[in-house]
Parts: sequence; C-alpha cells; structure tokens
Amino acid sequence: MELALLLNTSTLLTLTIILTPILLPLMSNKLQNTPTSITHTVKIAFLMSLVPATLFMYLGSESITSHLEWKFISNFKIPLSFKMDQYSLMFLPIALFVTWSILQFATWYMATEPYITKFFSYLLAFLIAMLMLTTANNMFLLFIGWEGVGIMSFLLIGWWQGRAEANTAALQAVLYNRIGDIGLILSLAWLASTTNTWEIQQPLSPTQTPILPLLGLILAATGKSAQFGLHPWLPAAMEGPTPVSALLHSSTMVVAGIFLLIRTHPLLANNPTALTTCLCLGALSTLFAATCALTQNDIKKIIAFSTSSQLGLMMVTIGLNLPQLAFLHISTHAFFKAMLFLCSGSIIHCLNGEQDIRKMGSLQKMLPTTTSCLTIGNLALMGTPFLAGFYSKDPIIECLNTSYLNTWALLLTLMATSFTATYSIRMTLLVQTGYTRMPSASPTNENNPAVTNPITRLALGSIMAGLLITSFILPTKTPPMTMPTLTKTTAILVTILGIMLALELSNMTHMLTHPKQNPLLNFSSSLGYFNPLTHRFTSTNLLHTGQKFALHLIDLSWYKKMGPQGLADLQLMATKTSITLHTGLIKAYLESFALSILITILFLH
Amino acid sequence: MSILHLSFYSAFTLSSLGLAFHRTHLISALLCLESMMLSMYLALSLWPIENQMASYTLVPLLMLTFSACEAGTGLAMLVASTRTHGSDHLHNLNLLQC
Repeated sequence: MELALLLNTSTLLTLTIILTPILLPLMSNKLQNTPTSITHTVKIAFLMSLVPATLFMYLGSESITSHLEWKFISNFKIPLSFKMDQYSLMFLPIALFVTWSILQFATWYMATEPYITKFFSYLLAFLIAMLMLTTANNMFLLFIGWEGVGIMSFLLIGWWQGRAEANTAALQAVLYNRIGDIGLILSLAWLASTTNTWEIQQPLSPTQTPILPLLGLILAATGKSAQFGLHPWLPAAMEGPTPVSALLHSSTMVVAGIFLLIRTHPLLANNPTALTTCLCLGALSTLFAATCALTQNDIKKIIAFSTSSQLGLMMVTIGLNLPQLAFLHISTHAFFKAMLFLCSGSIIHCLNGEQDIRKMGSLQKMLPTTTSCLTIGNLALMGTPFLAGFYSKDPIIECLNTSYLNTWALLLTLMATSFTATYSIRMTLLVQTGYTRMPSASPTNENNPAVTNPITRLALGSIMAGLLITSFILPTKTPPMTMPTLTKTTAILVTILGIMLALELSNMTHMLTHPKQNPLLNFSSSLGYFNPLTHRFTSTNLLHTGQKFALHLIDLSWYKKMGPQGLADLQLMATKTSITLHTGLIKAYLESFALSILITILFLH
Repeated sequence: MSILHLSFYSAFTLSSLGLAFHRTHLISALLCLESMMLSMYLALSLWPIENQMASYTLVPLLMLTFSACEAGTGLAMLVASTRTHGSDHLHNLNLLQC
C-alpha cells in the first residue's frame, strides 16, 4: 500500500522538479537559470521518474490522483487530475531521458546564441506542456497541454525570427495545428454534452460511439501528428534549430496526436469506420512521406519525412486496434529519431552550416562517433532485428499481415517500409561513404563531451530500449503467434529489398548519367505538388468567397436590390405604369368615365 | 316594341362610347353628344305614346330646349378653346401645367 503512495508521490515530485526552473527565479533574484542548471534539473527529474516506472513494472499499479476541482457549471466538474497508467509512466522517463540528452547537446550547439537561457526556458516550457498532456486525466488538461505544445512549437520554430522562411514555417505550423484543434474542440463539446464529463476513464461504453466525435479526434491527430492532408508543416518546421527539431518534431510533440488517440482508444475501438479511417489515413501518410523522403537533399528534411512516415505507421497501428503497440513504437521511435537529429546537428555544425548531403561524404573517417551512431539510428529505424525499432515495427507489420483488414493499407505500408530502408541507406551512403565533396577547411570536431555523451547515450537507448520495454510490460492483447514463414519475414524481406535498391541506385549514380527530370522524380522532389496546390487554391477560394459574400451579396444585393435602390426601383415601376393615365388629357378621363359606366351596367345585371 | 327599345339603347350606348373614345377632334365629341341627345329625344317621344299618357308629351320638348342650350354652350367652348389652344386637337388640351 505504501508503494502505491510512493508511486503518486514520486510522479508528482518529478513534475514539480520540472517546474522549479520556472518557479525559483520568481522567488529570488539570486536563483537565476543557466543552461547547465536546466539540463541538470531535467537529469534529476529523469532519475526521479525512474522510480514510478519501476514501481509500475514491479507492481502493475496504476493510479489517478485528483487535486483541485473547478466547478465549471453546476453539474460539470473539471478536476486537476493526473493519470499514472502504463502510458504516462513509461513515457515520462523516456521523454525526460531524451530531453536531457537534447539539452546537453544544445549547450554545445547553441553555445554562440546570445539568448541561450531563453531558448532553454522555451524548451522547458514545452516539456512542461508535453508532460501535462501525457499525465492528464481529463480532456481539459490535455487540451491545455495540446495548445501549450502548439504555441511553444511556434515560438521555437521561429527562433531565428529574422529569417523569413522561419517565420513562414512557424505560421504554417500554427495554422495546420489549428485546423486539427477544430476537431479536438468538436470532440470536447460532444463529450461534454453527451457524457457530461471530460474525464478519460469515464466514457467507456461498449456500445458504438457516433462517428462525429471520433472524426474530430482523428482530425486533431491529423493536424498535430502531420498525417496526409495536414502534413506540410512538419518538413517546413525544420527551419528551427536542430535541438528543437530533435525534441519537438521527432519524439514528443508530433506524437501528441497519436497519444490522444491512444488515450481515447476505448471510444474508437467499437467503431469500425473510425478504425478504417485511421488505417487508410496512416497508410497513405506513411507512403507519401517515404516517397517524398527519397529525393530530398537536405539531411534534416530526410529525417523529418522519416518522422512523418513513422507517424503514419503509428496511425496504422491505431487503426488495427492496437494502442499498446503504437505506444511502444512511440517510445522506441523517440530514441533513434532524436539521436538521428542530434547526429545531423553535429554534422551540420562540423561542416559550418552545410545541410545538403550532396556536399557531404566520407564523414566516417572524420566524425567516427557521430557517424557510427547515425548508422545505428538508421538501422534501428529500418527495423533491423533486435535493435529498438524491431520490437515495435515488426509486430506492427506482423499484425497487419495477419489481420482481416484492408489489403491496400497493407501494401502501402510495406512499400513505405522498403522506402524507409532506401532513403536511410541513401542518406548513410551519401553522408558517410565515398569521397569528400565538402570544402577542405571544415571545422570537424566532435571531441566535446557535450556532443558525444548525449549521442552515445541515445545510441545505447536505441539498442536496448526495445528489449527493455517489451521485457517488462505485458501486452494487453495477444499477439499473433503463428503465421507462415513468408508472412513472418515480410518486414525484413522488404527492408532488404529496399537496401538492395538503394545500393543499385547508388551504383547507377556513379556509373551512368541519367536524365535530370522524369515525372516520378518531379513528384517526389516537389513533395507531391501538395504545397502549392493547397496553399494557393484554398486561400484563393476563401478570399473569392469572402469577396462574393461581402461585396456582391451584401453590398450589391442588399443595398441595391432590396434596400434604398430597390425601393426606388419599385416606385419607378409603379409610376411608369400609371403615367399614361396622368397625362392630363381629356381623353383619359373620358375613357375612365366610359369604363366606370360599363362596370356599373355589368354589376346591375 | 322591344326591338325599338333595343335600337334606342344601342344608339345611346354607341354615342356615349363615341364620346368617350373620340380620337383627334373635340367636335366629334360634341357630335356624339348631339346623337345621344337625338336618341334620347326619340325615346322620350315614344314613351308617352306607349303609355297613352298625353300629359307627358311636353317632356321631349323641354329636353330639346335644354339640349339646344347645351349644344350652343359646347360650340362656344369649342370656339374659345380653339382661340386659346390654336386648334381643337385633343392632345393640346392638357390639364398639367408643366
């Protein structure tokens, strides 16, 4: 019994430790923040968060704590309640570990930044919002965290605000997230009006929930997790500094949408339409992002599209009714994706700002630690057996293969898996091997422990995390135990196919010269023509509709046709009709005299 | 006897319609007035003959007197209007001042 109390206390202590860099400087002038102090705070919070995680693994205990309660209206209460279940207790140490590594890396990466303390405070504020989102027990707190991560994403993407592309990208992120927020608010309203609560543990009815709130939740996840349709902000968000990309747009913020779907999974589970929507949407996103990643030349964009593709895979898992597996993929993905971003950050700084992989090469000799970890990360991403990615990706593909669901989604996901292998190998080949294509006087130096320690720590995580998590957490649904050999090895086979394809293509680039443009290349490198089409069409149509309503409808019709002008026209019509009678000629009067006589005679009859 | 009545009524009606719908000249209206008077005179003359009441034979004479006055007045007005408006064309006779 004391152990359950220890669980609650240590979780709340972790959250309080995170809050101290915000609260302590307000209390005293002497307690100001520095980047190292914030890094150490997050490290201590990580170590503290291991306690409840271990307790959960040992006892299997989950808890919900309620603190203050806000009586919104008379029978609708919104408590400040934290849910410590499998998802939040496992996410807490992982998020804190990744954040600690990223903050330590950022002390080196942003060392020349004049406002570095503000940068770290922003990252910390983001972390607080994210942890609020994950530990929230009701949708109100989740919404606060949701908006918080959105705002911090905006501030951090546009960190170098003198750069016009950064401002555009930040605005794009906020707009696309806002469209998703519409869906979330729709679901919130439906939940409040139908179930009279915003608590997550309450609406667990076995009957089917109507499709509308579920579509709202799926829209929210599409916006936040960059599924196809609301995806362009994620590659554009690479305008932010690399620590921002590593923290927000790979491990934590973009999984918020998937996390929402995992939390509200009981609502989704009974509605096959919603599940099919998730499945097809996820399959489409994963393939689209993988296709776009094939021809990118910016190292950060490749990793961004890789993130988008993995998010699509998580959405596919939700569509297969396997929230726990999706969460497992979130956890393992955080490690290797953050590591990939940190490696790319190290490479970028070492090459004095060069991000184009066509101008890198043979970095394996110059940056051995970084490139080794890059290779480990890529292998983990591809799902190499017994690295971290394998424990989550392979079961997903197996369940997809053995389920009675959409074959089209299955095909797309398999193609995306092979494309994942292809672009990862392409990146590795162009960055690490071959002859150098960079200027010779590059300040390649990775001897700073602030660089190597985080990357190697995350590499260790990428190797071990999958095994550790699956060893200690029992699955809630039975995984498929038997399947034909070909089905079992499908994932690994398509991955090997992708690798072979990449190696063949790299041979071709050295041996043959092929034409510069063909339709497929154009499709892939211009990101599927999605950005110009939507950004121009929708805004043009909206503005035209606005003009139609404001000018044509209101001004012209109300004022001219029905307002004062219309009244004048009506009078004119009546006047023109009666003007023939008002000429003043005797003839008209005599004609009316005759008419009245005629009418009198007819009536007398 | 009723066909006689019909002829008187139709003559009267046609004349009154002619009064109402005359086209160009005012004098045609006066002419129609005269024909209305004529048909009324004939009808009034035949009426005491039908009812065999001799004392009502004075009525058409009275009517004739008054119609003569009226015709004279009408012609005088025609002449007066021709003097002021230049002719007796109807579209000259306009009550409007502008």
